Amino acid sequence: MNGPGQTQPDYGLLACDVFADELVALGGESPPWRALTFLEMGLHDHPDQLRQQVQSSIAELEATPGISRIVLAYGLCGNGLLGVRAGRVPLVIPRAHDCIAMLLGSAARRQALMRDVPGGYFYSPGWIRGGRVPGPERDAYLRDLFQERYPDDPELVEDLLEADRDTFSHYHTALYVDVTQDDGARNKCQQCARSLSWSFRMLEGDPAWLRDLIWGQWDAERFLTVPPGASIALDGEALIAR
Amino acid sequence: MRTVKAPNDMSEILNTLTESIKAGKRKDAKAATEQALSENIDPQQILAALTMGMDDVGRRFKANEIFVPEVLVAARSMKSSMELLEPVLAESGYTPDHTVIIGTVEGDLHDIGKNLVAMMLKGANFSVVDLGTNVGAQAFVEAAQTHKASLIGLSALLTTTMTAMREAVALFREQGLAAKVMIGGAPITEQFAQDIGADGYATDAASSVDLARSLVA
Ligand code: B12
Repeated sequence: MNGPGQTQPDYGLLACDVFADELVALGGESPPWRALTFLEMGLHDHPDQLRQQVQSSIAELEATPGISRIVLAYGLCGNGLLGVRAGRVPLVIPRAHDCIAMLLGSAARRQALMRDVPGGYFYSPGWIRGGRVPGPERDAYLRDLFQERYPDDPELVEDLLEADRDTFSHYHTALYVDVTQDDGARNKCQQCARSLSWSFRMLEGDPAWLRDLIWGQWDAERFLTVPPGASIALDGEALIAR
Repeated sequence: MRTVKAPNDMSEILNTLTESIKAGKRKDAKAATEQALSENIDPQQILAALTMGMDDVGRRFKANEIFVPEVLVAARSMKSSMELLEPVLAESGYTPDHTVIIGTVEGDLHDIGKNLVAMMLKGANFSVVDLGTNVGAQAFVEAAQTHKASLIGLSALLTTTMTAMREAVALFREQGLAAKVMIGGAPITEQFAQDIGADGYATDAASSVDLARSLVA
């Protein structure tokens, strides 16, 4: 098993770039992976595309010499990881539904927050970097996009932007999950909250799940190992290999 | 007085209506609906034109050709047309036989898909009671009893709230509700629907209508 201080990294890490800040921080100066591939976080809105890209990146990572395992910094992600198959080497994946649970350290904590703060929208440095979280950058991005798509119809563009703002009408709190003590990201989240007249709440992230993922502390309760040839499946709400 | 429209004009108006729904142009959709009504076009045909536009929007969203706001402006256009159409439908003796209770399950605030389904069900002559989002299982039970519903529709978009769906269906069974239960939302599969003992599941708004009809038949 790997661990801090271990010298010969032997796995390839395939990660959603929503985790870029946390993984770089937790990996330290001599990170435990042999190769690292980030995939774009926007893929989460299109589970089928996400599945295809993860599968083809696994094939590429496997071809890297010296790799005997692939570690996925992904959750089930709207079923996007369902059906992903291990090829030559086993896969290791957290038994998480999404990145929010991983940043908070456990599924139970995430469930409790969703219950206690039903109008809460989660932010993290990665989500903020993606520029699609509710707030001024999202507005600007969508305005450009729709103006380009409907150059002759400014009224429709305004309607579209209003419709987008409307989708957040049930929300009232920005929940910022902090793992990296990143003042810049936190400030941006506060700006988003202000622009929407939401309240801002700082949540202390728990790096344990991600840290144990990359440092090889793979207990069966929190991590699923998928042997070569098997694929990621669901049994009720639990991730299994089949 | 009643004038009979030449079929060509009629299909042109209905075509305009379908196109304005697709483009999310609320004013145009409203104008086309008003024109269709004043030309005495069969309200059922007007409804079909609206539905056809919305089906196309749903398809393009699934194919990643358009974004959520584009779906929403189309839905709003359809809604404003429906407001004009509903009284006419009611007048023509078209009154709902069945009540559906619909809502998004506890912990989940996604409602775009649920709203679309609700609207299409209304269009298909169901009386729809929409409980909104983050709805607890007990609230569904109470509403089903109060409104003597024949059908309950549950929506969930998060794999983490699919559990709430399972619990809700279990409660309905425990309470011996007569209403049939249909479920939907992007992560829902046929397998899951069977697992939790729902009566049916549908992947989009158009097939939700077929499903609802078959469940109350
Ligand atoms: C739009 C969207 C949002 C909007 C929602 C706006 C609103 N008012 O609904 C916003 C941005 C606010 C949002 C918030 C969040 N979201 Co969101 N969201 C989406 C997105 C991109 C599209 C969903 C949608 O509206 N689709 C359009 C409609 C038309 O399709 P539909 O919902 O599938 O509905 C159709 C069918 O499913 C069916 N149907 C639906 N309901 C029913 C009911 C019945 C009875 C029947 C028969 C049929 C049926 O018919 C519908 C019409 O065709 C999805 C990704 C995706 N592609 O699904 C993520 C997604 C669902 N969200 C996700 C996440 C993580 C969240 C947040 C937790 C993010 C955060 N940072 O806090 C919060 C949720 C908080 C909460 N408590 O709910 C994840 C879920 C991951 C998971 N754990 O399962 C997804 C999969 C994206 C992702 N991978 O990250 N989200």
